[in-house]
Amino acid sequence: MNIGKSLILLIVAAVLTYPLVPQSSDYIIHVMTLAMVYMILAMGLNIVPGFCGLLDLGYVGFYGIGAYTAGLLTIHYDMSFWVIVPLAALNGALWGALLGAPTLRLTGDYFAIVTFGFSELVVLFLTNEIWLTRGPLGLPGIQPITVNLTWLNEAWYFQFYDKTPNFYVVALLVGLVFFIMRRMEDSRLGRAWYAIREDPLAAASCGVNILNYKVIAFAISAAIGAVGGCFYARWSMFLSPDMFKFWESFLVLCMVVLGGLGNIKGALLGAVILVCLGEVLREVLTSLGLPPETRFMAYGLIMVLIMRFKPSGFFPAIASSGRSNPLLLDLQKRLAARNAPKDEARDAAA
Amino acid sequence: MLEQQLINGLTLGLIYALIAVGYTMVYGVIQLINFAHGEIYMLGAFFCVTFITAAGMPFYVAILMAIICCMLCGILLDIIAYRPLRKAPRLAALITAIGMSIFLQNVALIIWGSRSRPFPQGALPPFFREKALVMGDISLTWLQLFIFAVAIIMMLGLYLTINKTRIGTAMRALAQNKTAASLMGINVNYVISFTFALGSAMGAVAGILVSVYYNTLYPTMGYTAGVKAFAAAVLGGIGSVPGAMVGGVVLGVAEALGAGYVSSLYRDGVAYAVMIAVIIFRPSGILGRSVVDKA
Repeated sequence: MNIGKSLILLIVAAVLTYPLVPQSSDYIIHVMTLAMVYMILAMGLNIVPGFCGLLDLGYVGFYGIGAYTAGLLTIHYDMSFWVIVPLAALNGALWGALLGAPTLRLTGDYFAIVTFGFSELVVLFLTNEIWLTRGPLGLPGIQPITVNLTWLNEAWYFQFYDKTPNFYVVALLVGLVFFIMRRMEDSRLGRAWYAIREDPLAAASCGVNILNYKVIAFAISAAIGAVGGCFYARWSMFLSPDMFKFWESFLVLCMVVLGGLGNIKGALLGAVILVCLGEVLREVLTSLGLPPETRFMAYGLIMVLIMRFKPSGFFPAIASSGRSNPLLLDLQKRLAARNAPKDEARDAAA
Repeated sequence: MLEQQLINGLTLGLIYALIAVGYTMVYGVIQLINFAHGEIYMLGAFFCVTFITAAGMPFYVAILMAIICCMLCGILLDIIAYRPLRKAPRLAALITAIGMSIFLQNVALIIWGSRSRPFPQGALPPFFREKALVMGDISLTWLQLFIFAVAIIMMLGLYLTINKTRIGTAMRALAQNKTAASLMGINVNYVISFTFALGSAMGAVAGILVSVYYNTLYPTMGYTAGVKAFAAAVLGGIGSVPGAMVGGVVLGVAEALGAGYVSSLYRDGVAYAVMIAVIIFRPSGILGRSVVDKA
């Protein structure tokens, strides 16, 4: 194990034990939890523009669908969080497939604009269907996450009003999503997505059913967004349509782009950086007497500058899949060994 | 009632058409959805009001100055943000366009504040609010007539520019094949900048007309209007200038009828629904070329 890897493990361990420290601040735990919610979203969004090369501008629509699914199921049916997560994921995937199937055959620009329109329609629906969502008044009184182990011991019924347990729940979700993403990236599915991103024509010629794989990507991405929304609903205990405006989609996209399109770890890091930057900017801007919304100016500028000077982000994607693949590493080594004598001969001639 | 809705829809539709033309021209020339176009439209309104209130210019002079400033903004936008990315993947250019849109919107938010403000009524010609025509229940104000006239003159001018002038021919050549056009001696970057300037001028006029019509302007006004105009461009067939004009009018009328007869709450939803439906069922729009991926 090299130094970089052990350093990362150390940081992760430190972050995970932080809430247990007695002097830990509630504010920092809150920010870390928020950062992890965005990690889930960034990983989910990463599938569509990162793996498949399609711009998705409506990701927050699925986040909103997940959040409201969770909120309504909790309020009306008092379901457990652990039952709601798969249900919300299924609901997200359903809408993803419904939207994706007819539109994913279009060129990228059209697809981007359809997703944008979809997320705006979701917000309009949440605002106007007052009988269901209470509209602009929002949805208060969502119960926090519970763990019901009374079948083991009468006293084991936990309700997570506190910040710390929520932190660990979302950490668990992040770990789960990260694991799923890593498995998918190196699977048949992931390879097909990469092929579509690099050259759709070549991929189709090799027997990849482009539309199917794109719809799968879109549905999985939507499902992960819905899971993020699901946690958010139970964590914040209040939902309102304003939370799911286009800005959020843009922010998540910015995270993915910053980390490097298609790179899972990059998406995680992008989420951390932008959430922290958002908190810092909130302080700085209010002290300058500007409204906190103007922090999006910084996000816009970051996007433009990254695209101009570092279009593959700070952590380019090829590194993750290629360098960890033992077959490719072996091939690289053999090629180097075969070329070494030639290089020496050429150097000698020169 | 129906006739009144139609007139209101037509007014709105002509304004959408003015913005949509900017989208469609840029798309035709460099195949980029210029998300920042909505912000140019917003800047047009703000420049005009600033020239009236801060510099004390008369209404018509302020309009001209605002148009010139917006044309410069459009050209700068192209040179600073898009020109370095001509050879980059399209995803990069698209993300840059969104980034610029959000950047410009927030710059306006910082300069002019987030509150919506009224258009300075004192600067407007006093007859604007008077009725020009009353027929039973229907009424038409001079302002609406003014909007009709300006929009139609601008679009006629645009049509002549594109079809009858040298630079218009160059634009059409570029839309067909950039490489071949440059081999024929066309200065590609110059023509693209000209396209941006032309589109921005139309956008600025639309912004001013809207802010006078609704008597309000705010830094986020470019967002919804931009999307709706884009929907209009898609509806008409992106890349086609007459298509954008038709699409804008159709969308404006559909929206007014939808708000009047279905539900005013989903007023904005009409545009999105129309856009999604068109993209799904007829992506080439009313007058456009085929756009479905070959792969």
